[in-house]
Amino acid sequence: MKKAKPLVLIVDDNSVNIDLLVNTLKKDYRLGIAKNGTTALEYTDKHLPDLILLDIMMPGMNGYEVCTRLKAVTRTRDIPVIFITAMSEAGHKTRGFEVGALDYITKPFHAAEVKARVKTHLALKEAHDYDIYIASKIQKTLLLGSPPRDIPGIQISQLTIASQKVDGDFYDFFKHSNLCFDIVVGDVMGKGVPAALLGAAMKSHFLRVLNEQLRLSGKKELPEPAKIISSVHSGMIDQLEDLETFVTLCYARFDMSKYIFSFVDCGHMRTIHFHDDLNTCSLLRGVNMPLGFPEKEPFRQISVQFKPGDLFVFYSDGLTESKKVNGSLYGEKRLVDFIQANARVEPENLIKSIWNDVTAFSHSETFDDDVTCVLIKIDKEPLSTVFPDEGRLEIMSDLKELGRVRSFIREFCAKIDDSVLDDKRLNLIELAATEVMANIIKHAYNKRSGEPIQINARMSADEVVFEFFDWGQGFDPESVPEPVFDGSHDEGFGLHIITHFVDEVIYSHGDGGRNCACLKIKLTGGN
Amino acid sequence: MELSTEKIGDVTVVSVLTEVLDASNTEEFKTGFASILNESNKLVFEMSHVKLIDSSGCGTLLYCQKQLNKLNGALKLCGVQETVRTLFELIRIDRVIDIFDSKEEALKAF
Repeated sequence: MKKAKPLVLIVDDNSVNIDLLVNTLKKDYRLGIAKNGTTALEYTDKHLPDLILLDIMMPGMNGYEVCTRLKAVTRTRDIPVIFITAMSEAGHKTRGFEVGALDYITKPFHAAEVKARVKTHLALKEAHDYDIYIASKIQKTLLLGSPPRDIPGIQISQLTIASQKVDGDFYDFFKHSNLCFDIVVGDVMGKGVPAALLGAAMKSHFLRVLNEQLRLSGKKELPEPAKIISSVHSGMIDQLEDLETFVTLCYARFDMSKYIFSFVDCGHMRTIHFHDDLNTCSLLRGVNMPLGFPEKEPFRQISVQFKPGDLFVFYSDGLTESKKVNGSLYGEKRLVDFIQANARVEPENLIKSIWNDVTAFSHSETFDDDVTCVLIKIDKEPLSTVFPDEGRLEIMSDLKELGRVRSFIREFCAKIDDSVLDDKRLNLIELAATEVMANIIKHAYNKRSGEPIQINARMSADEVVFEFFDWGQGFDPESVPEPVFDGSHDEGFGLHIITHFVDEVIYSHGDGGRNCACLKIKLTGGN
Repeated sequence: MELSTEKIGDVTVVSVLTEVLDASNTEEFKTGFASILNESNKLVFEMSHVKLIDSSGCGTLLYCQKQLNKLNGALKLCGVQETVRTLFELIRIDRVIDIFDSKEEALKAF
């Protein structure tokens, strides 16, 4: 990955030793020199060397202390440190390893040995860096899903800061319709490539389970989150046990037609739910163990109602466990308080200010763990005004108008997402409307043209309703004989078609001799 | 409505060149059918242009078949679109009139 020669920092107070080391290494490496502990720390902070050769006995800050300080800071903790010392007793060596040194070279040293050890540790470091590079690539490309942008009534914004160690945070979104989507946020225990790969495997397993269960139900019924988790768990438990790891996660569904949030929490961070009307936050936690634990109980799903203006905050432990230098944690309480105070800020800006608050707290922009945070804000305007829709068509009784009625229906339904109302179903609804119209003209108005027909259309989050009004002869569906299907009759199929291709048909008679045929089409729960 | 015909052996293939066959144009269709009936009693209706057909259209197809049966002829359909087929299945037209995927298969069936 690096094109320049590796940078090696030599820390020693003795000029003779420095000269020896410089002569040994100058051909192969760029070199930095520090004659005491303080300079060494400053140099490291500024130049981030690839390896440090560190003398133990120095005036002022000794080598152990320098090493301890390097290991306490996220950005410098992974720099390999090799102690160089005249002291060869086992006790010193042990202490060196305890404070985080990787290796020891005892004076007087041989040039060949110094070269060999430096080379070996740089190669190991490079391999380790490459690991992290691959893991962070996996994370960026496979672990983090992009949020659906086109769901009316919500705003989503997210933040992800990969740590230097990549720990398998993942999240994804599954859009089922304009009114329903799922989010999964998870965290694989462990770090680096194994955690990243397992996170990616988990994510694809969710997709697979969703698809399988949808297919099994004939695409009619969305599997409940608890059922999805249960299938993912049984599909992954052997692998998780083999890898001796586990995954905490929260799988949640937003049902915008009913304003219900249903979730299965498996030992993940508590989701924050800000209630706009009450100006309070509640913390949502489930009762399930993380995936990978041998679960005996069925996974429990919890549902809560939400309201326009509410906000949901999903996050990983990297956020709440970001640390100050003195070791104190950012913590859930501080996050909740921050959300409470700023919940009405636009999500894009809110997520930036969360990040600013965390970095201001930790005085650092690098973290031990990945930091992920996803905000889902429910629009203040309720969804019914997002679909504000009513429509009306007034026409005369004439079979030539059938095409116009179908166009009216198609245009009225155009704003409904294809996943809720696909083209085929729309065709069949147009067909049902054609039958209603033809019945009115043929029977209610006895084929007279020029009589009034009015169609009112309205749409809510979960249904579309078309009402056909006429002022002709009333119609009683009970009086219609059963259709004959043996080819002998070429009439009498109309009502049969209508009742089959919409979800509900209601005939009624109102004041002033007005008849109504009301067709209802459900937008939730399949056809 | 345009009905274009093509004679293949003793069978006439009729391309139904309309997107909609409903109560507004079934009479027109029957008129066109009547003139074809003078020439041939073995017909294939090629339906691939038809996106929507209503009960009146279905009734017309059943009427056509009855007329052909009276003349010892037959009616077959091909190129039926999915939505149309859904309706045919609902009112069992598919059990009364033979439906084929392609014109060639329909021709072979006579």
